[in-house]
Amino acid sequence: MPREAEPSINERAFILQALQENIRLDGRSLEAYRELNISFGEEYGVADVQLGKTRVLTRISSSITAPYPDRKFDGVFTITTELSPIASPAFEVGRPSDLETHLIRTLETTLRRSSALSTESLCLLAGTAVWSLRADVHILDHDGNLIDCACLATLAALRHYRIPDTSVSGGELTVYSVDERDPVPLALLHHPLCVTLNYFEGGEKVVVDAARVEEQCAEGEVVVGANPQGEVCLMQKGGGGEVDAVVLLRCVDLAVAKVRELGKVVDQALVEDAKRRDKGGMSRELQAENAR
Amino acid sequence: MATDTIVLPGDTISSDVLPTSSSSSQSLRLGPGLRLVPPSTITSAVAGSLRVDQKKNAIWVENNGGRYIPQPNDLIIATVHHSSTDVYHCSITPHTQFAQLPQLAFEGATKKTRPQLNSGSLIYARVLSASKHLDPEIVCYNPSTGKSEGMGELKGGMVFDVSLGMARRLLLAKQREDGGIAVLEEIAEKLAFEIAVGRNGKVWVKSAGVKETLLVGKAMQETDTQGLGIDEQVKLVKKLLRQL
Repeated sequence: MPREAEPSINERAFILQALQENIRLDGRSLEAYRELNISFGEEYGVADVQLGKTRVLTRISSSITAPYPDRKFDGVFTITTELSPIASPAFEVGRPSDLETHLIRTLETTLRRSSALSTESLCLLAGTAVWSLRADVHILDHDGNLIDCACLATLAALRHYRIPDTSVSGGELTVYSVDERDPVPLALLHHPLCVTLNYFEGGEKVVVDAARVEEQCAEGEVVVGANPQGEVCLMQKGGGGEVDAVVLLRCVDLAVAKVRELGKVVDQALVEDAKRRDKGGMSRELQAENAR
Repeated sequence: MATDTIVLPGDTISSDVLPTSSSSSQSLRLGPGLRLVPPSTITSAVAGSLRVDQKKNAIWVENNGGRYIPQPNDLIIATVHHSSTDVYHCSITPHTQFAQLPQLAFEGATKKTRPQLNSGSLIYARVLSASKHLDPEIVCYNPSTGKSEGMGELKGGMVFDVSLGMARRLLLAKQREDGGIAVLEEIAEKLAFEIAVGRNGKVWVKSAGVKETLLVGKAMQETDTQGLGIDEQVKLVKKLLRQL
């Protein structure tokens, strides 16, 4: 029966006492992320992100559909999450838990409602045909901080994905297959990421990237979604103990700094993947553009 | 024996591996991991290395499983979840049925002087009975002697997770010779700490401060996950003590 193990009194007291001395269980600083590994699949648009023991895989797929009648010029972008027992025995199949709702709302706000992906660029024939992009987020392992990991995986997958090239002439739409024309990257306007901060002692101690046991002992959490330019697109504090407004401002500053660091890691992973795919440097030769 | 025989689930144990009983009256004892298919076939139920003890005329399979299954007479660390009229309901492994700890199952406990355990307390207990169909039952005293022998509520300290094989090795009388574990002895030369090992893969450590406790826990977990030999364990302990 799914009943997650709650930490015992001893563990709680120990974690709080360790935080008094600014020590965390695995020895990292209060503001350090766990080891972050981003790997991409053979196909475009599959990203597997490992943050310590938490692991999330996101897959992007696309198809052509009719647009919503009230939004004739916009494409469709949906994010779906799957929390199955493979991640943690606390999850049940088919029954969306509070955590799942929280996760999907946060991902939607950060990536869809912030217009990270320009939906107008997905429009092919106004009113008739648009791209429908679908991001499937699979949680593979749950050891705390699902939101950050899922957001990283989805953004990395979006930046990695290549959508088939199309052209419209005289009201007729041609979609080129991979053999005819290289697929093109998506039009991402900015790269937002989420940072979850858990606080203890009424906001005195703020911890970034909490492991599962630290999350269970925390008083509450604040989620901040921002991009490396410093623009905040999401701020969420759902329940938990009360904190001072100054603490929230500190959280936002910390989160923006962390988003910049994480953004750099994603950039680096994408560059390495491009190098791996471009063996022998032929991609520059095969480009149709001329250097002028 | 020089080499260990590795067995897989379903393998029949051939009779030349079985210990020859010097006294024919002594029957062969089957330990964990083996099943008897009547009339006289012995098959392995788990994957692991087959161990034979000539003296006790026993054979068993050593396997490092992932999930703890309660066996009678095992010492475990359990967490109290809630209490009802006569019984504390404790969790031995997460996501399984609760084990029952009678409120009077402590040394010298009567109806008037029973210990008060809160939800979330850690206790060191012994498994009394465990079967597939019933909730396991645990007690905080040795059923044969009636003494507590260190069992009961564990106060303070911190709990660390280790694999089941590591927990078994830690519980051996001769850790260094039979189990190949030297970490605890090495640390004990420099630091003072208290430790309680549960067969369900949990180790409770209590030391002077947070850093010392974390050191002991980390040393054990590193030895477990990396599979360190005795020399490497000594080196690891030296490195960790220097960082302290």
